[in-house]
Amino acid sequence: MNPWPVIVADLRALRWVAWVTPLLIAIAVAVGIAVSTQETALRRSSAKAADDFDLLIGAPASNTQLVLTTIYLQPAAIPLVDGGILNALAGDDRVKAAAPIAFGDSVRGYPVIGTTAAFAGRWGELAPSEGRLFSREGEAVVGKGVRLAIGEVFTPSHGSPARHSAANAQREDEASHRHEGVRYTVVGRLPRLGSPWDGAILVPIESVWETHGLGNGHSRDDAALGPPFDAPKVPGVPAIVVKPRAVADAYALRAQYRQGGTVAFFPAEMLVDLYKTLGDVRDVLVIATALNDVLIFTATAMLLLALAGLRRRRYAVLRALGASPTYILLAVWLGAALLLAVGCLLGLALGGIAAWLAGRLVEERTGLAVAVDIGGSEVLGVLGLIAVASLLALLPAIGTFRTPVDQSLR
Amino acid sequence: MVERAEGSRPARRILDRISLAVEPGAIVAITGPSGAGKTTLLHAVAGLLQPNAGAVSWGDLDLTALSQTTRDRWRRDTVGLVFQDFQLLPELDVIENILLPIRFDHWRTPRDLVGRAAMLASRVGLDQRALRAGALSRGEQQRLAIARALMRGPQLLLADEPTASLDADNSARVIDLLIECTRESQASVLLVSHDAQLLGRASQVYRLTAGRLEVDSAGRA
Repeated sequence: MNPWPVIVADLRALRWVAWVTPLLIAIAVAVGIAVSTQETALRRSSAKAADDFDLLIGAPASNTQLVLTTIYLQPAAIPLVDGGILNALAGDDRVKAAAPIAFGDSVRGYPVIGTTAAFAGRWGELAPSEGRLFSREGEAVVGKGVRLAIGEVFTPSHGSPARHSAANAQREDEASHRHEGVRYTVVGRLPRLGSPWDGAILVPIESVWETHGLGNGHSRDDAALGPPFDAPKVPGVPAIVVKPRAVADAYALRAQYRQGGTVAFFPAEMLVDLYKTLGDVRDVLVIATALNDVLIFTATAMLLLALAGLRRRRYAVLRALGASPTYILLAVWLGAALLLAVGCLLGLALGGIAAWLAGRLVEERTGLAVAVDIGGSEVLGVLGLIAVASLLALLPAIGTFRTPVDQSLR
Repeated sequence: MVERAEGSRPARRILDRISLAVEPGAIVAITGPSGAGKTTLLHAVAGLLQPNAGAVSWGDLDLTALSQTTRDRWRRDTVGLVFQDFQLLPELDVIENILLPIRFDHWRTPRDLVGRAAMLASRVGLDQRALRAGALSRGEQQRLAIARALMRGPQLLLADEPTASLDADNSARVIDLLIECTRESQASVLLVSHDAQLLGRASQVYRLTAGRLEVDSAGRA
């Protein structure tokens, strides 16, 4: 038997409803997939961005703000921590490496971050894709996304970059706060990290201090870059990133620097708390989208049930012409299941596109590379929905199956 | 005997002690007032409903003793049906409509049957085969319905008011077609009609009144 002609006839009879029904289902499914995949991708990307920040030490303030500003480079004024801690950490056996993170200047919308060359190269794990790391004051290494060429010279401006402000307004703002006389030369470019640091310009911490009239942190002007900082008074920094030698050291350092006017915490731990909160929100969203799906599917099943009722005479005629009850059942079921299944598959594709677009938007706004991955769980979820839809599609089919032919022909 | 219950009202006797024989190749017409049971009689003959008492036989085969599945199969292989309001699938083209009864048991339509469908379309004067049924005139739609009924080469053609919704010209054409096609295939015809032109071409005319069948005064039974 071939129920296809009847299915085609039924779908053609639906006219625009045959397009709108799968589209509505697709939107409902897509919202669920987009929310779920986007949240997963965001969680993964944000965790990856924090990989190199084992332990953060800062002045007492909001830990969340310190993470947002230090790891995700979201501009905010945060209090400084005593620069002398850098030397204490440099001499601490429990510390494998420590680096200051200082910000407050910008160039063409890119934040200028003062740190050590060692941290710029992620303590040996990252080599520049072009050029080299900075080795003296006045040199800079840029992230992959920074549109400055190697050898280009720039003057930083005071203030954090105002993301998304008009280019002209930004240029005017930078021009009025320019650190005249300060020049940096781009000597290297880092490979893509997939984090907001791709849009950062990294310069020696000493240069940042000097730019702001705080000296260079050393007792001599021509001292080598990096720790130890032996100036009588080492300038403060917004944050210090520490790489402990061992897990026990990490906990000991965190305990130590939670006292004495500093805060210390593991960004990963804070992210776990954040994800837990986000997870609750996600659960609410998932339940809301699931309810949304149920409503749409039920409405569609009711619509198909009503349509099958209206077509009762058509199916009775087919029965009178010789179609078996199974033929009618198959035609009605496949027609309804087709609409629902197309909606689900279209939803999978639309959900993927929506999540990808949202990822691009997040990347554009935060620099965080959100790699959306439509994986097995999403495909399995959609296959499950198709299975449910197929069962729902049986409702109108069974309705026609049970109606006596003679009665329907009248 | 056929009784029908409607809602909570007691069952009403629709057909009562009817005796009707249709000879091979005969064209038998049933006329009568609305609600007399003409369509019910056609449905009983087609095996679409089971009489409460009595029997419907096709040769030696007692249709009332068959299971529904066997009766369905018998109807599919033996009976062609033409409805008053055509009952085509307006969204399908001419050939797809004619081929519809073939789709009930073939996934791929054999080439010779596609050829037969094209032949039948020509036979009923429908040359615009790619046209959807919904785009045809009423006369063309009824001719298409006849072609569909003839597709499986039925031995019995049942037609319910086949000319009721047609104008005089189309009515005459459909009557000619019904008679010619069934004569060619040696099929018997049992039709329900009020059309004097059609009744005049029948070999036997019966009048059904209040469930009772009588030879029509103008008939030739």
